[in-house]
Amino acid sequence: MAVLQVENIQKNFGKVEVLKGIDFAVEKGEVLSIIGSSGSGKTTLLRCLNFLETPQEGRITVNGETLFDAADSHTLSDAAIRLNRLHFGLVFQQFNLFPQYTVKRNITLAEGLLAKERIKKEGSYNGYTDYREALAAIDQKAERLLAEVGLSDKQDSFPCQLSGGQQQRVAIARALSMEPDVLCFDEPTSALDPELTGEVLRVIRELKAAGRTMIIVTHEIEFARDVSDTVMFMDGGVVAEIGSPEQVIGNPQNSRTREFLARFNER
Amino acid sequence: MFITVIQALSEGFLETLKLFAVTLVGALPLGLVISFGSMSRFTPLRWLSRFVVWVFRGTPLMLQLIIIFYVPGFVLPQNPWAISGGRFWAAAVAFIINYACYFSEIYRGGIEGVPKGQQEAGQVLGMTKSQIFFKVTLLQMIKRIVPPMSNEIITLVKDTSIARIISLQELIYAGYAFLKGSHGYSGLIWPLFFTGVYYLAFTGLLTLLFARIEKKMRYFGG
Ligand SMILES: Nc1ncnc2c1ncn2[C@@H]1O[C@H](COP(=O)(O)OP(=O)(O)OP(=O)(O)O)[C@@H](O)[C@H]1O
Ligand SMILES: [Mg+2]
Repeated sequence: MAVLQVENIQKNFGKVEVLKGIDFAVEKGEVLSIIGSSGSGKTTLLRCLNFLETPQEGRITVNGETLFDAADSHTLSDAAIRLNRLHFGLVFQQFNLFPQYTVKRNITLAEGLLAKERIKKEGSYNGYTDYREALAAIDQKAERLLAEVGLSDKQDSFPCQLSGGQQQRVAIARALSMEPDVLCFDEPTSALDPELTGEVLRVIRELKAAGRTMIIVTHEIEFARDVSDTVMFMDGGVVAEIGSPEQVIGNPQNSRTREFLARFNER
Repeated sequence: MFITVIQALSEGFLETLKLFAVTLVGALPLGLVISFGSMSRFTPLRWLSRFVVWVFRGTPLMLQLIIIFYVPGFVLPQNPWAISGGRFWAAAVAFIINYACYFSEIYRGGIEGVPKGQQEAGQVLGMTKSQIFFKVTLLQMIKRIVPPMSNEIITLVKDTSIARIISLQELIYAGYAFLKGSHGYSGLIWPLFFTGVYYLAFTGLLTLLFARIEKKMRYFGG
């Protein structure tokens, strides 16, 4: 069964139709890359999956549970949306780290707040009934995640003391802290100097090896070919072509995909 | 003579400090309320707030003082300022509203200046609106508003002297009295000049305080 099932997502801003009925599914451990020209709706799609935008139509199902259904108002309440968000993680193009906190606190902040709330309301969080013990475990997890992205020595630094590549790796660790079922990336290397993209792409490759389910919007076509199980080409708010990287990038059938890739190869 | 002057000036300075403190206590929170009004999604409220801000920033504080002090006596059956300390409270009301309007714009700049991505980063991590405000946005907002706020607050110290127009006996009033004639002296100019020492000492203290606050928050870049 698919981890994520997306059906007929439609989103418009006023009169502008940005997403015109998007359908796809992602299996556990699968890496899906989304490519497409500027304005085709890639960011909007990721924002819908993370409930930063509310689609006018469609359904989002994770592990068989319907998180969002435009026709069912129960799934639209603030409380429901907040819980739903925990199934997804999002890594932003601009990192969006919290500047006033250390690297480690950036990673532990959200889960610490959740643990406090759960212990108060339900008596326990992840088996811990004592907030301090829960925090200690959250701290340890943050250290593990920092090791995973190769930044153990930076845990007490502030974001402004890090390079762009390091900041983005912290942002990845932060997104992983909430243990999302699906981790989404919106052009994770677009804001980086070319010599810094490598370290971020390497971390994403390692996450794939570790079996994480990921959706990656990217302009790095070679990376997409290499890391993805599936490539989706979006054009004008629809899925123009979807399939294996060999098929979509190596041997595209859709004329728009071919034009897009040709423009890419010229550069 | 010196002792008499210092005593009179210090009494005036106390009145100045009182007006300064009461204005801050009233205008800091009221400004936040007005800034929320001027950012409200409810259009009539937004327009009303922005209209009020326009009126109070667009006219001289001196004129506002005069109107707030004299007009109620004409239009109301009973003059609300005809109590002991009425002058002071009239001045306080004018200063609070005027400064709240200036503060509201500073708050608005501070709130709108925190990048949207900060809030969104909190949202996708499952944080609630209030958690995001208190744990993510607030400190960044404070960092942004400290420099313009310190400017405005130092201006307030000196603006208190405008209350002299409704005969509030603040520092400048006290100094000027020696020129006009009081305490058995007249034609004395130096007490008026000497008030500058009080202002400089107080604003100097405030400057040091704000510099410390700014330094405390320098550790993070955003
Ligand atoms: N909040 C919004 N209000 C109005 N229009 C919007 C909004 N957000 C996005 N759009 C419009 O939706 C369209 C798709 O935008 P989107 O950011 O999803 O594209 P994209 O595929 O991510 O492009 P890029 O490669 O440049 O990042 C654009 O035409 C954009 O102007
Ligand atoms: Mg985009």
